[in-house]
Amino acid sequence: MSNVVDVLLSGVFAASILFLVAAGLQVVFGVLKIFNLACGSFYALGAYVGVSAVNWSLAAGLPRPLFVLALVGGGLALAFVGPIVERLLRTVYDRDEAFQLLLTFAVVLMLEDVTQLVWGTAPYSTGALYLSYGQALILGSTVPVYNLLVIGASVLIAVGLGLVLTRTRWGRIVRATADNREMAEALGVNMRRVYVQVFTLGTVLGTLGGALVIPSTTAISEMGIELIVQAFAVVVIGGLGSMRGALVGALIVGVLRAVAIATRPEVEMLLIYLIVIGVLVVRPRGLFGGAAA
Amino acid sequence: MAGPAVAQTSPRAGARAFAPGAWVLALAVLAVLVAPLVVSPYYLTKMLPFFAYGVVLLGLNLLVGYTGLLSFGHALFLGVGAYTVSVATTRLEIRSFEVILLLAALTAAIVAAPIGALCVRYVKIYFGMLTLAFGMLFYSFLIKFYAVTGGDQGLRVAQHSLLGLFEARSGERVRFLTGQFYYYAAAVLAILALVMWRIVRSPFGLCLRSIRDNPEKAEYLGVSVRRHRWYAFMLSAVYAGIGGALLGPVTGQVDPTLVYWTHSGNLVFMVLLGGFTSFFGPLLGAFVFIFLQDQIMSVVPYWRLVFGAILAAIVIFAPTGLMGLLSQRPTLPRWAVLRQAPGPEHAN
Amino acid sequence: MLRVEGVRKLYGDFCALEEVSLEIQAGEFVSIIGPNGAGKTTLINVVTGLLKPTSGTVHFKDRDIRGIGPVRLAKLGMARSFQLVTIFPELSVLEAIQVAIVSRLGRGTRLFHALAADREVRDQALEVAELFGLQDKRDARARQLPQGDKKLLDVASAFALRPECILLDEPTSGVSTAEKNTIMQIVVQASKRMGIRSIIQVEHDMDIVFGYSDRIVALHQGKVLADASPAEIQADEQVMSMVVGRPTH
Repeated sequence: MSNVVDVLLSGVFAASILFLVAAGLQVVFGVLKIFNLACGSFYALGAYVGVSAVNWSLAAGLPRPLFVLALVGGGLALAFVGPIVERLLRTVYDRDEAFQLLLTFAVVLMLEDVTQLVWGTAPYSTGALYLSYGQALILGSTVPVYNLLVIGASVLIAVGLGLVLTRTRWGRIVRATADNREMAEALGVNMRRVYVQVFTLGTVLGTLGGALVIPSTTAISEMGIELIVQAFAVVVIGGLGSMRGALVGALIVGVLRAVAIATRPEVEMLLIYLIVIGVLVVRPRGLFGGAAA
Repeated sequence: MAGPAVAQTSPRAGARAFAPGAWVLALAVLAVLVAPLVVSPYYLTKMLPFFAYGVVLLGLNLLVGYTGLLSFGHALFLGVGAYTVSVATTRLEIRSFEVILLLAALTAAIVAAPIGALCVRYVKIYFGMLTLAFGMLFYSFLIKFYAVTGGDQGLRVAQHSLLGLFEARSGERVRFLTGQFYYYAAAVLAILALVMWRIVRSPFGLCLRSIRDNPEKAEYLGVSVRRHRWYAFMLSAVYAGIGGALLGPVTGQVDPTLVYWTHSGNLVFMVLLGGFTSFFGPLLGAFVFIFLQDQIMSVVPYWRLVFGAILAAIVIFAPTGLMGLLSQRPTLPRWAVLRQAPGPEHAN
Repeated sequence: MLRVEGVRKLYGDFCALEEVSLEIQAGEFVSIIGPNGAGKTTLINVVTGLLKPTSGTVHFKDRDIRGIGPVRLAKLGMARSFQLVTIFPELSVLEAIQVAIVSRLGRGTRLFHALAADREVRDQALEVAELFGLQDKRDARARQLPQGDKKLLDVASAFALRPECILLDEPTSGVSTAEKNTIMQIVVQASKRMGIRSIIQVEHDMDIVFGYSDRIVALHQGKVLADASPAEIQADEQVMSMVVGRPTH
C-alpha cells in the first residue's frame, strides 16, 4: 500500500511540474500557433536561476524556511526573457510553421549554451533545503512536504489560469484570439500586445516550473532538451492548445512514468512514446484537442 | 554549384543555370580528389562526416525540399544505419562493407515502411511531431535495451573491409580512414548524388513537387499523394541509413545520441543552412556546418550559441540558405510562405 | 454517362442536398446554376467522389463512384478544375501539364527515368499547352502568370488527363469580362480537339451559362428547381427570379 502511494505521489509531483511547462507550451500554441521548443529551455533557465536566487538570498539573510519565495521570485523575474524571444519570433509570424519551429530550435541551441556560459557544466543544486520542511506521513508512505507544496502550488496555478482565461476580460480576449485571429483583430484587439503577453505568460510558466522543481533535483544543462520531449508527449496526448489537455496529459505522463520506473524501468519513456504515437494515429487532435485555450 | 534549383523548369533553362554551376561542381569534385595529397589528416578526418552527412541530407531534402514534409525524427534512420554497421561487424562477423551498406539500406527501408505509412497520413506540424515521437521511441529503445544495444554506452564498430581489398590494420586506423576509406566514402556520396539527381528529375520527382505545391490538385490529376509521399519517405530513410553506415567507421563507436531529437534538429538545420530549394544546398550546408563547428570549438566550447544565432539569422533573413544567397534568389517559394491553418490535415 | 439519383446529403440537421437527381449524357455541356448556399459545391463534391451522399446513388459510366476519391476518379475518366485557381505555384506551365500526363500514362512512380528525355510526355504536354495558348509561357512559373492564364492552366492540366467528363467549377470567376469569353471558347475548342465528351460547369455569369450550355440545372435550397434547355429556363420567370435574379442571395 505505502509503495503504491509512494509511486502515485511521485508521479503527481512530476505531473505538476510537467503541467506548468506544458501549460506554457499550450497557451503559446493556442494563440500564436507556434510550437515552442524553447519552453524546455525556459524550464532549465528557471532551474538555474532558482538555485542562484536561493543561494544569494540565503547568503543575504533570508530565513531558510522562506527559500520558496526566492525560487518563485527567480522564476517570475525571468519573465523578461519572454518579450525578447517573442520579438524574435515576430519576424516569422507569416511564414510556414516549419520556419517557426526551427526558430524556436535556434533559441533552444542558444539558451543551452547561455546556461553553460553562466553556470558552467557542473551540476547545480540547492543542497539539503529540499527536506527543510520535513516529511509527511501519508497512508504509510513518507513524502517530502516540499513535494506537497509544489503539487498544491501547481493546482493553484491551474485553477488561477482557468479563472483568468474564462472569467476575465483579458482571458476572453486571449480565447477569442486563439479561436479566430481575424475576428479578434476586427474587433479591435491589439494583436501585438496579446502575443507578447501570452508568450510572456508561457515563458513564466516554464521558468516557474524549473524553479519549483530544482530543490528536488540538480540542475544540469541537458535538463531543458530532456524536458521538452516530455512536455511534447503531454501536449500531444492532451491535445495541442488545450489547457485541460495539458492537465490530463501531464497526469498521464507523470503517473505512468512513475509506475513504469517502479515496476518495469526498461519501458519507462518507451511506453510514453508508444502512447503518443497511438494518440497521434487514432486521435491526432489529442484527448482534448479542438477545445479553446 | 550555383543552384540547378528545385523548381528548375526545363532542360533549356537548366542548361543556362547549370553552366557556371557545372564549373563550381567540377572544381569541388577536383578539390575532394586531390585533398588527401595536400590537406592535413586532421581536416581529412573532418571530410568523412561530411560525406556521411551529405548522403543523409540528400535523402532528407527529398522529403523537405521536394515533397514539403519536415521530418523532425530523421536521425532515427541515420541511427539505424550506424547501428547496423556495429551489429554487423561485431555480432554477425560480416566484414564486407558493401554488404554492410546494403544491409543498412535494407534495414532502414524495413523500419521506414510501417513508420512512413503512418506518418504520411499527416502533414505539417503533425508529421513533424509523429516523426519526432518515432525518433524518441527508438532512442528510448536504444537506451533501455542494454543487452542488444549497449545502452547509453552504445556499441563498437569493428574491423571491416572495402571491396574485399582494403582493411584497417591495427595502429593504422587514421591512415586507413584518410586514405582508402576517404575515397570510398566520397565515391558513395558521388554515386548516391547522381542517383538522387536522376530521381528528382524523373516523373516521380515531378509528382513529388506537384504534391508539395498543391496536394489537392495533384490528387485530382490522379497522383496518389499518400503513395508518393510514402515512397519518398522510404527513399530518404534509405539514404539516411547508408549515410549512418558511413558514419559508423568514422566515429568507431555508435551511441544513442545519434538518434536524439536534437540531432534530427541539426540535420534539418544543415539542410536549411545550405538551402532546401537547391539540389546541392544540403551538401553545402553539411560542409559549412561541420567545418564551422570545428573552427568555433577550437576557440570556444560554445558552438551552440553561435550556431543558434546563425540558424536564427538564416530563418529570418535568408530562408533559402547559403545557396539562395549565392544564386541571388533569396525569396521563398510560395509553398513555404503561405501559412495554413493548423490542424491535422489528412493527406487526402 | 453520369447519373445522380435521389441524392441527399445531411450535415447534422442541415440538409445540403435533397433528392437531387440528374443525368448527363455523352456530348452534353451542362451548367449548374443557383444562388450561394443552393448546394452546388456539395453537389460537385458528391459527384467527384469526395463526399459520400447520405443516401442516393452516383454512377459514372455505370460504376458506383460514391466516395471513391479523386485518384480513382481520375483513372476512371473524370477530371475537375477549381473555383479558386489551384495551380502548382513553383512548377512551370509545362510541368503542371506534365503532371497530369505522367499520371495518366501511369509513369508517376518511375524513379530513374529522365522526365526531360520522355518525348511522349513532352509532346503531349506541348500539344495541350498550345491548345490553351500557353505555349509561349511554357517555362514560366505558374505563380508568375496573370490571373486569366492561371485559370487556363488549371483547366489545361485537368484536360491533359484526357477525361471523358470534366467538371469545371466556375471556370471564369475572378477574370475580366473580356477574358471570360476567350476562356470559354478555348475550353469548348479544346474539348472537341481532345475528345472530351461531357462538360459540367458551375457558373455564376449568366451570359456564359446561356451562351454555351446545352442544358441548365437550377438548384435552390438543395433541390433541383429546374432542369431544361437555356431557352426554357429563360422563359421561366419563377426560376429566373429565384436563381438568376439574386445571384448573391
